[in-house]
Amino acid sequence: MAGKSGRTINATPQNVWRKRILSWEGVLIVILAVVLVLCRAMSATYTLENVLREMPKYLAEMFLMLPMAFILMMGEIDISVGSIVCLSGTLGCFAVNAGMPFPVALLIMLGTGLICGAINGAIIVIFPELPSMIVTLGTQIIFRGIAEIMLGGGGSIAAKNADGFRAIGKSLGIVPIVFFLVIISGAIFVIISTKMKFGRELMAIGSNRLTAFYSGVKVKKVLFISYVTMGAFSALCAIFFTAATYGANTTTGKGFEMDAIAMAVFGGISSTGGKGKMIGGILSAFVIVCLRIGLGQKNVNSQVILLIIGILLIGAVLLPNISARISANKKKAIS
Amino acid sequence: MSEYVLELKGITKIFPGVKALNNVQFQLKKGEIHALMGENGAGKSTFIKVITGVHQAEEGEMYLDGTKVDFKGPGDAQAAGIAAVYQHPTSYPDLSVTENIFMNHEIKKGGVLQWKQMNREAQVYLDQLEADFKPTAEMGTLSVAQQQMVEIAKAISTHARIIILDEPTASLTANESEKLYKIVEKLRDDGVSIIFISHRFEDMYRLASRVTVFRDSQYIGTYDVDKITNADLIKAMVGREISDMYPKVAVEPGEEVLRIENFSRLGYFKDVSLSVRAGEIVGLTGLVGAGRTEVMEAVCGITAKNSGTVFLNQKEVHVKNPTDAADLGIILLPEDRQKTGLIMSWGLGRNVTLPIMKKMRNGLFINEKKENELGKKFLEEVDTKAVTVFDPASSLSGGNQQKVVVAKALAQDNMKVVIMDEPTKGVDVGAKAEIYAIMSDLAKQGYAIIMISSEMPEILGMSDRIYVMCNGRITAELDAKEATQEIILEHSMEKTEKKEAVR
Repeated sequence: MAGKSGRTINATPQNVWRKRILSWEGVLIVILAVVLVLCRAMSATYTLENVLREMPKYLAEMFLMLPMAFILMMGEIDISVGSIVCLSGTLGCFAVNAGMPFPVALLIMLGTGLICGAINGAIIVIFPELPSMIVTLGTQIIFRGIAEIMLGGGGSIAAKNADGFRAIGKSLGIVPIVFFLVIISGAIFVIISTKMKFGRELMAIGSNRLTAFYSGVKVKKVLFISYVTMGAFSALCAIFFTAATYGANTTTGKGFEMDAIAMAVFGGISSTGGKGKMIGGILSAFVIVCLRIGLGQKNVNSQVILLIIGILLIGAVLLPNISARISANKKKAIS
Repeated sequence: MSEYVLELKGITKIFPGVKALNNVQFQLKKGEIHALMGENGAGKSTFIKVITGVHQAEEGEMYLDGTKVDFKGPGDAQAAGIAAVYQHPTSYPDLSVTENIFMNHEIKKGGVLQWKQMNREAQVYLDQLEADFKPTAEMGTLSVAQQQMVEIAKAISTHARIIILDEPTASLTANESEKLYKIVEKLRDDGVSIIFISHRFEDMYRLASRVTVFRDSQYIGTYDVDKITNADLIKAMVGREISDMYPKVAVEPGEEVLRIENFSRLGYFKDVSLSVRAGEIVGLTGLVGAGRTEVMEAVCGITAKNSGTVFLNQKEVHVKNPTDAADLGIILLPEDRQKTGLIMSWGLGRNVTLPIMKKMRNGLFINEKKENELGKKFLEEVDTKAVTVFDPASSLSGGNQQKVVVAKALAQDNMKVVIMDEPTKGVDVGAKAEIYAIMSDLAKQGYAIIMISSEMPEILGMSDRIYVMCNGRITAELDAKEATQEIILEHSMEKTEKKEAVR
């Protein structure tokens, strides 16, 4: 070939550990440590056992963060997940109350999630000109609407026979089952996003959708699978949320989509697509969950907790911009 | 008072790495229609943008009625009575005709918009242009020709003394063009000076009294239209002699690899048939917008077609999407490297392996070491100027980015046909020669190459055979030995009537 100049290109990654430590994920580990130490110092009841006991309610939302990160990495969004949680939870309680065996109820809940996810995915794939924000805003209203119709006047349902839910809400020793599931799912999502073709394709779509398409990435397929996964994990979230509350009502899952997005964005996953790491999302989710539990134990008002998390979020988004600006100014000052 | 209403002297405009205009001059008399001609990329559009204040020239002076002016932005040019009408009207499709005409210079009384008065005045302008639509019509519902009329009405409403028309007839039918000619002549008779940019000689002969030619960002000359011959004008436009920057090695073409038959897509191209053999470089040329890229994107399954068959090694194949094309070994190197060729924020290695991730796996997982090694191998093969395979694509120059695109194609080891769309667009001269060397090498290795290009020297210098397209049809198939710039230019500027047939 024409390569006659004898120039060589280096193909060995360098300073891998240095880069890892200096990354946003490294910073998140430090933040997590600070949060744990501070909470422990402030509250005597902030023990491992207590934190783990309170975790399941919050951990259910982490199921939403994982596929949400995929969707954000593609530059898309799904704000209907809270409503899927509500619809799936409602149907699950109805199934249990109708005397169906618990595994059937679980299948119904999962099926609901899959169908809702498939509806979102199908609309977004078939009508690429519609922004996913608007599509899922529509389905957000529709899914919750269906749940509200089913819940009727009372607006809530309690599982009459909650044995099944109680069983999956149990702990192994002091660690709740859901904790293991979250860690396993998280590990799978990290592996998919870093080591597998699907993860690379997600990033390609989020970075430059046209180039990805021209390069043979099946953009529609990847989009559809991601939305269906989102639906399935919304159902998982519904299962474990019901296992913590033994029922559903019209406000079940309200705001969950925003919590999931907040966890991902605080973890460095850009909502414009193509940026961020799964591990960052998981770390930030633990930061937020541990902080919430700690502030809750100090009887901090839940509105104030939201305020603090909001400020953290904006700070996390601003930080890279600020540091870029500072280093740009420095360069200017030197020249 | 100066003889010229507008005069520009020694204008130089530099974009990062490129001199878009090099010491050009221009003189416009009051009440004349002045044609501005040149090949694609000769600098016409940049020049217009300097006049309208969109770009500021690095060097040179501009005089209006003999007074030196210095436009800081489009607003200044507008205030000085200069208006431009573009090929694709830059209007607000959801607003009414009146709103479009009075955008940014609305009639107000005490801060309240006077719609009745504006509608009335808009009607007066439209009547002047003999328009057949109402000022209350929605812009988006009008045809391109009608939208252009609105743009002209807008120019009149700002009391423009100089109106620039940038390829106004490019998307018009013969009848619509004739109507536009009449409007332009009427404007001239009213004392407006007009700069008319066009690729069509018929436009120039019909309207202009003088013509200025640009080539390679330089001023070539200004001629009286009735004193210059067609041949002289073409020579002025394409002019340069072909140097030996084209290291084409003679290769005896082998078997036919790809043949397409009767490719049609409504509104884009019709009945396009062509073929390419192993070791052959086929040039596909014509003016921008002739439908070359569209045909090739349809071959690769990127855009739809209404009809047409693809034969690969004499066997009919079906391509529904880019993956099918890649699986068959038909690889497109897109024209726009930043939008469709590369992921600019990604490392070079990952860009190269993006289409072949399937093969980069050990079982379920991507083997990054293998991936980096492969990226290194192909990037070195095309001699990319990069330090590591992790350098982001955005850090490279245009020429080196093009090399990465080539490496990406080479990595697909079943490649048989390479379709290169404007392979040297935005590439500097030195890197151009390197890319030609790579192309020549590929041909020697037996790949079938289709090169889409608007650049005559590269078409003539690199092709074995040349297809010329015009208005969505193939108008000529030439052997490289018999082809000249004049013949190609003639075939790429056929008469307008054919356009009707495609649409």
